[in-house]
Amino acid sequence: MSSRYDVVVIGAGHNGLTTAAYLAKSGKKVVVVERREAIGGLAAGSEFHPGYRTAGVLHDTTTVRKWVIDDLELRKHGLETRKSAPPVFIPQIDGPGYLHFHDPRAAQKEIGAHSKQDAESYRQYRAFIRKISPVFRSVFDEAPADTDSLGVADLWGLGKKALSLRMLGKNDMMEIFRIVPMCVADWVNEWFESEILRVAVAGPAILNTMTGPWSPGSNLNLLLSEILFDSAVAGGPAALSQSLEKAARAQGVEIRTDAAVTRLKVAEGKIEGVILANGEALEAGLVVASCHPKHLFLDLLPARSLPIQFEQNLLGYRSRGVVAKINLALNGYPQFRCRPDFQPEIVRTGEHIDDLEKAFDPAKYSMFSVEPFLDIWAPSVENPTLAPAGHHVFSIQAHFAPHDLEGGWSDARKEEFFDAAMAALNRYAPGIEQYIVAAELSSPADLEARYRVTGGHLFHGEHAIDQLVVRPVPECSRYLTPFQGLYLCGSGSHPGGGITCAPGALAARAMQSN
Amino acid sequence: MPIPTPFHSRTSQHCYSLNWKDWAGYYTVSAYDTTHDSEYYALRHSAGLIDVSPLFKYEVHGPDAAAFLSRLTVKDLHKLKLGRVTYLCWCDDDGKVIDDGTVSSLDENYFRVTAAEPSLSWFDRQSRGYNVTIEDSTARIAALSLQGPTSRDILASVVNTDMDTLRFFGVVRCRLDATEVWISRTGYTGDLGYEIWVDSRHAERLYDSIMAAGRAYDLLPCGIDAMDVTRIEAGFIMNGVDYYSANHCLIEEQKNSPYELGLDWAVQLDREPFTGQAALRKEKADGAKRVFVGLDVDWAEVEAAFDKFGLPPDLPGHVWRDGRPVYDENQNWIGQATSGVWSPTLKKNLALAQVTAPFAKVGTRVQFEITVEYRRQVVGATVVTTPFFNPPRKRS
Repeated sequence: MSSRYDVVVIGAGHNGLTTAAYLAKSGKKVVVVERREAIGGLAAGSEFHPGYRTAGVLHDTTTVRKWVIDDLELRKHGLETRKSAPPVFIPQIDGPGYLHFHDPRAAQKEIGAHSKQDAESYRQYRAFIRKISPVFRSVFDEAPADTDSLGVADLWGLGKKALSLRMLGKNDMMEIFRIVPMCVADWVNEWFESEILRVAVAGPAILNTMTGPWSPGSNLNLLLSEILFDSAVAGGPAALSQSLEKAARAQGVEIRTDAAVTRLKVAEGKIEGVILANGEALEAGLVVASCHPKHLFLDLLPARSLPIQFEQNLLGYRSRGVVAKINLALNGYPQFRCRPDFQPEIVRTGEHIDDLEKAFDPAKYSMFSVEPFLDIWAPSVENPTLAPAGHHVFSIQAHFAPHDLEGGWSDARKEEFFDAAMAALNRYAPGIEQYIVAAELSSPADLEARYRVTGGHLFHGEHAIDQLVVRPVPECSRYLTPFQGLYLCGSGSHPGGGITCAPGALAARAMQSN
Repeated sequence: MPIPTPFHSRTSQHCYSLNWKDWAGYYTVSAYDTTHDSEYYALRHSAGLIDVSPLFKYEVHGPDAAAFLSRLTVKDLHKLKLGRVTYLCWCDDDGKVIDDGTVSSLDENYFRVTAAEPSLSWFDRQSRGYNVTIEDSTARIAALSLQGPTSRDILASVVNTDMDTLRFFGVVRCRLDATEVWISRTGYTGDLGYEIWVDSRHAERLYDSIMAAGRAYDLLPCGIDAMDVTRIEAGFIMNGVDYYSANHCLIEEQKNSPYELGLDWAVQLDREPFTGQAALRKEKADGAKRVFVGLDVDWAEVEAAFDKFGLPPDLPGHVWRDGRPVYDENQNWIGQATSGVWSPTLKKNLALAQVTAPFAKVGTRVQFEITVEYRRQVVGATVVTTPFFNPPRKRS
């Protein structure tokens, strides 16, 4: 049995759906094949306990690109963006806690409670980020230049980037060169005197990455999240996925779930289609993979067909997951001791930069954190339908739980890490365990098995200076691969992971221009 | 500092000249006597025994051994029959040569690869997805090269197998006196000859057996200087001299495809994917831009060039390895000669060279640069076929 399409997209995550919608919009006959029973991938909601749903494995939608929403007219397909992103609550054991607003005016009062001077510093910090944003956007909102064979268009693009950098003025330009490779701890220490603000600002730099705040280069991750920051999607990742699905279907995209690709059909270095687990062959001259690049090249293509240097580069691509996903079904909103009855949507633990660093340290040695660093989203605050009335859901990315845990991930080890995470939470919200109706912990090994993210890395590979832009490997810059007709469009390609939809959109554009 | 080979206790007894050379980290004899002439003549007229232990050797075992080597190299090793040896090269993804050597099929799922350079890492890196083990056996296995017209008779007198059935590029496991060895009908002299592979622990016993048997056949221990002369006559290229491994090249021009090294015949394109396949396909379709050729340098012109200075001509008795430019008749640069020597057998001034395709036809006249009294001179040379020396006994 076989069917013929112009394009087969592997994976119905947010990037796969984005690419499919773009390509179908340009007139291509597109099918999306998804291994799981539902669309959305890491951006899919799931019912992890009867009556309790999450909004996604990933939970942050503040980096979704506006221009993708506009291009695909996602608002017509039910997508709503919130006025602003929810603030982040940093609870304290002895102190009032700190609610971190992105907007400096909104933040003034909260910061002022900890440091008068920092309220002004934060305003300046935001102004600086605004000033340098165009430079970063010109890199992360466009396909990377093809440095191998620079064409006129590439030169033009590079020129524009250089110009946007130069337009900053010499001092700011030099400042960018200085700050990108820094460790985030040094940078926030330069800006702020209050430890709680430092930790609130620095936190995003280490989410989902094998870095601590004192790791060199961690500042780039902070800059990325700052520059891409925008308002969140109402309903979170699950709502985004649904609108992408509708938009894609409206363009005529066929979406097949429970349709795992077992291998790609290749002849003489040219892609001919995919073979599904049920034996069905989907023929297409173009295959676009939103799955993890290592899964694509090392599992779905014949082991003996990769160019040797390419294979070496790919094997060296770092994708060591550090997050265990914990979902909690709660019979009420837990009480944070520092602010009783306060029900924030986002909570991050750790009052000091060094709390984060200490959480990271064991990961280097393939051990999990003694006191994990928790990035907690409570999607039921915005969307109460995710849980029974009065009940709540905590969607937690618990750091650091390395994929290559010494001795491996067993049920006992998962329980141990879960207990450590709950103990960390209990310090700020005593009695949390009394609220827990049900809990689910997925180790990086579980996430790898469930979503085929090699190494269990939720960004499809580490965000690091050497793995951004040239992502995943030099041969795949501009979404190309060593196989004619095979393209990448997932988080393992430029500009990287998280919920931006940018890789999916930029890949589609790159394919159209080829 | 170089280390001794397993034959050192024997070779050092003969090496009156103390003329040692570092070959891949081992002390090897350049010439046992003050010059290598007598050793050269032994190789061509009776027999010479050369310690070639420094050759890099790899044992490839496993059900996927043939498939792995077929992916690694330019040849389909599924076709190599048990007891046969083949010469080949291996390339990078761009179809540029990494190294050349031989592959011997020693047993079911068991091959031995020889290489000029350390290759374990290169081999290992390509073995993902193959059920194979790769062992660097360079130190574990010692090797002697017994070359020359009487080599077959010498071996026939000491082995327990019929030497007449061991054909050109065959390999056999047998006993030589009391020593278990592999004998392959191979060599680097372009003559009748054998290579004998032995467990290093039995190296000295093997050496003594062969030297004793060779006494009646004018066998002489030979150094690598003499072997170098014979390999030029045979038209054999050498890694690090006539070409450089693509892994060591700094610019593209320094790299060579098999098609540029005269190894067209070794490349088997139409089969399962192998490293460099796509690039080699393209190069074959487009045609190589450079071609490997033999040059016969005009002796009369060399004499005349020296005569201008009142000097007798300088006979290159040793192989020269410093590259020399080659020009067309109008003094335009068209390539380089990479090594050469005066052939005592052919009485010709020979060079191995690489020239741009239009000048590769046999019979083409080119200009070859020599230096006399520190002045550059050009002398005429003719493109000729290799091997320069190709005696019928080589394949007999």
